[in-house]
Amino acid sequence: MAYLQMHGITKLYQTSGVLANNAVDLSIEENEVHAVIGENGAGKSTLMKLLYGLEHPDAGETFFRGERVEIKDPFAANRLGIGMVHQHFKLVPDFTVAENVVLGTEPRKRGIFIDRQSAIGHVAKVIEDHGFSIDPKRKVKELTVGQMQQVEIIKMLYKNAELLILDEPTSVLTEQEIERLFETLRNLLSRGKTIILITHKLEEVMDMSDRVTVMRGGKVVAVKRTVDVDKRELSRLMVGKDILLQVDRPAKEPGETILEMQGVTICCRGQQRPLLDGVDLKVRAGEIVGIAGVGGNGLAEIEDVIGGLRHPGSGKMFLNGEDVTRYGAEQLREAGLAYVPADRLNRGASLQSSVRENCIVTKHHDFLKAGVLLQRGIREFTRQLIDHFSISAGEGMRAGNLSGGNIQKMILARELSAESNFILFSEPTWGLDIASSQFVYEQMMDLRKRDAAVLLISSNLDEILGLADTILVMYRGRVVGRLANTEDVTKDIIGEYMLGIRDDSQGVAVASPSGVRGE
Amino acid sequence: MNRQRVASLMSSVTGLFLTIAIAFAIVVLMILILSDEPGRAIYYFFIGPFTRAYYLGNMLNQSIGLMFTGLGIAVAFKSSTFNLGGEGQAYSGAIVATVIMLALPNMPGFVGGTAAIVAAILMGAFIAGLSGFFGMKWGTDQLISSFLLSAAVILIINYLVTGPLDDPTNSMLTTPRIGQQYQLLRIFKPSKLDISIVFAAILAIGTYFFMQRSHWGYEMRMCGLNREFAKYAGINVEKYLMVPMAISGGFHGLAGAIVVMGTHYRGLKGVTAGLGWNGIAVALIAKNNPIAVIPAALFFAYLDAGARAAMLHSDVTFELASIARAMIFFLVTAQALYGLFNSKKKVTK
Repeated sequence: MAYLQMHGITKLYQTSGVLANNAVDLSIEENEVHAVIGENGAGKSTLMKLLYGLEHPDAGETFFRGERVEIKDPFAANRLGIGMVHQHFKLVPDFTVAENVVLGTEPRKRGIFIDRQSAIGHVAKVIEDHGFSIDPKRKVKELTVGQMQQVEIIKMLYKNAELLILDEPTSVLTEQEIERLFETLRNLLSRGKTIILITHKLEEVMDMSDRVTVMRGGKVVAVKRTVDVDKRELSRLMVGKDILLQVDRPAKEPGETILEMQGVTICCRGQQRPLLDGVDLKVRAGEIVGIAGVGGNGLAEIEDVIGGLRHPGSGKMFLNGEDVTRYGAEQLREAGLAYVPADRLNRGASLQSSVRENCIVTKHHDFLKAGVLLQRGIREFTRQLIDHFSISAGEGMRAGNLSGGNIQKMILARELSAESNFILFSEPTWGLDIASSQFVYEQMMDLRKRDAAVLLISSNLDEILGLADTILVMYRGRVVGRLANTEDVTKDIIGEYMLGIRDDSQGVAVASPSGVRGE
Repeated sequence: MNRQRVASLMSSVTGLFLTIAIAFAIVVLMILILSDEPGRAIYYFFIGPFTRAYYLGNMLNQSIGLMFTGLGIAVAFKSSTFNLGGEGQAYSGAIVATVIMLALPNMPGFVGGTAAIVAAILMGAFIAGLSGFFGMKWGTDQLISSFLLSAAVILIINYLVTGPLDDPTNSMLTTPRIGQQYQLLRIFKPSKLDISIVFAAILAIGTYFFMQRSHWGYEMRMCGLNREFAKYAGINVEKYLMVPMAISGGFHGLAGAIVVMGTHYRGLKGVTAGLGWNGIAVALIAKNNPIAVIPAALFFAYLDAGARAAMLHSDVTFELASIARAMIFFLVTAQALYGLFNSKKKVTK
């Protein structure tokens, strides 16, 4: 039997109804680097959370070193020798390296006092044994990001981890730091450790891993030896075959420009490359523009900018001819924005409030009389939305008691009721079942028919290919591909843009922003 | 109201009563151990406030200030702004009202009284609103700024009361007495219970409707429940860092004015002591529901009156009474807080 064997792992998130893992099998050999790859929402993070005891599976078994184990929490995982380095570090900035490493398992003096000297001693030994060069007495806030990650790794080694899980370890690192990390990993490997590397960067998979498990839609679609595959094949496995959506998209000549972004750039302090790098885009009346990309490449930032929740550092945005660059959400809505957010449980809805209160939030001004909200009008309006969008909910029900699909319908109902001529959809069908997704698609095609401008941000390529007239692909904050959605455009091509294998933007975007806008 | 809400209300009320019962049992146990005449002590602790009209009236009177401050805290907490400066806001309201009434000795009671109350409300609103403003402008922590501001204000007012405003004819640390026309009507003599209790109850109901039905109330609650959502929908979330704080401060200022006009008739040093902190406890027990603030304030006043009666009529010492009261309060607020965190957790899951 393999070193680690997960068998038939199934996890259903009750609140959102998402089947994150569906009978997943994972098999890791001792002393290998095993990459787990997949798009956002493929289920790889969930699988690792289950392995590390942060979540509990609904079904399935885990065997570690030949024994069946139930991992209740991260402490249990640590005791077994499983350690995880999270994508976002869990460190106390004001503590020293040593203090952070021993946190929770501090050596004691006379039972109650922390024995700092022996803590530093122990940690220094771990650092030396594994060939790190970091001062255990330095404060974590003085370290670079790469060093902080080392501290996370040291923390796990201090807890005698034999199997290390690294969740997107390179997403925050510079090229040199990545090189350094890989050295560290090779070093650990030579000391008999086993490493699971979660990533969606194919270069890293090719460079580092011995074997690779590809996940898609909560299932394992392939397990390969790295030497047997190339990037193109992995990319194809990740995105999957083309599925034709059941939507009818008749040819249509787009009208005038409704939304336009010109060179929108967002730089973040402490980050080496901009989150958005000179993004130009145009959405015209009666047109659906799809933006594809892997998470962390600027999709969320575009959503925030258009939603008025974040202002660009430079560049301009126009909506219906008006310069809306500096507008907040309220002014943007007045200028003609409707927006279905990706984070529907937090941003799109207030789960503790009633359906009624959720439905009126963007237009409660219409129900005011002398500063008082007219209940009768609100009830009537909400009932209309419930009927018209066949939401299974009562108007007085708490939104949190609705199913994921009905929450999304409620948000859609609210946003469509504004009857604005521009609508932004971000991940509109994420986690929804087929019927609910179909409903969303029909609404979008209906908007297109009525000459509204629709912007669809989605990591679901079937959706993009099935709905969009024009496709933009984001990679590292830049638009690397602009394609008219014709017969020739396939998932493979978009996938290659998404993963940085193809890039049309090099040099052009900087030189003349207006030059690349025409498709 | 649907069945599910009734059920959740029932369960929270049952939980509360269970907690109170456990707390009472612990107090009884403590008295049994520490008192030489436990029967008498227990009798006065629990029944004492109802044995004489005087005690009952004073108990009701004490609840008035708590209702105002409890409402103030409930409004702030419901909007997820945190006002820990109630003490200073109430105290400043009391002093501003006193100064105005002293400055207008010959004004008709209604006019001068209204002016005093309005000024007290504005004063409280200003101090609390300042914390809100800092939070809005520079993202300072309101919890800390409101607390520190209040701590400073208390010292300044103590100086005023014992210095420039001190009544030289009186040996107490206090301002002179306010005019007869400003003293609120006492409705349950010989106790100090005055007419403002009716006003407090009406205000509680009014606040409930304000929060549930008004434009501001709706926007404040949306900000309180989910700021991200409110911001996304175009509600001015920055404004609602300040508005609920100012409203909360206004309630505290009002409490200060009423305590002077209804109970003490003077600006004593520390005239509102405890109202601010106890208002937080009242709001927590009421789970920030303005109508539930009425019974919560009565409950608090009852505990206080019981402890006092037990001290007067039995060998219960001040310390024991305080510990017993604290014990009950500790458990009840813990239960209220537990419910609060629990409901938050369910959502984030």
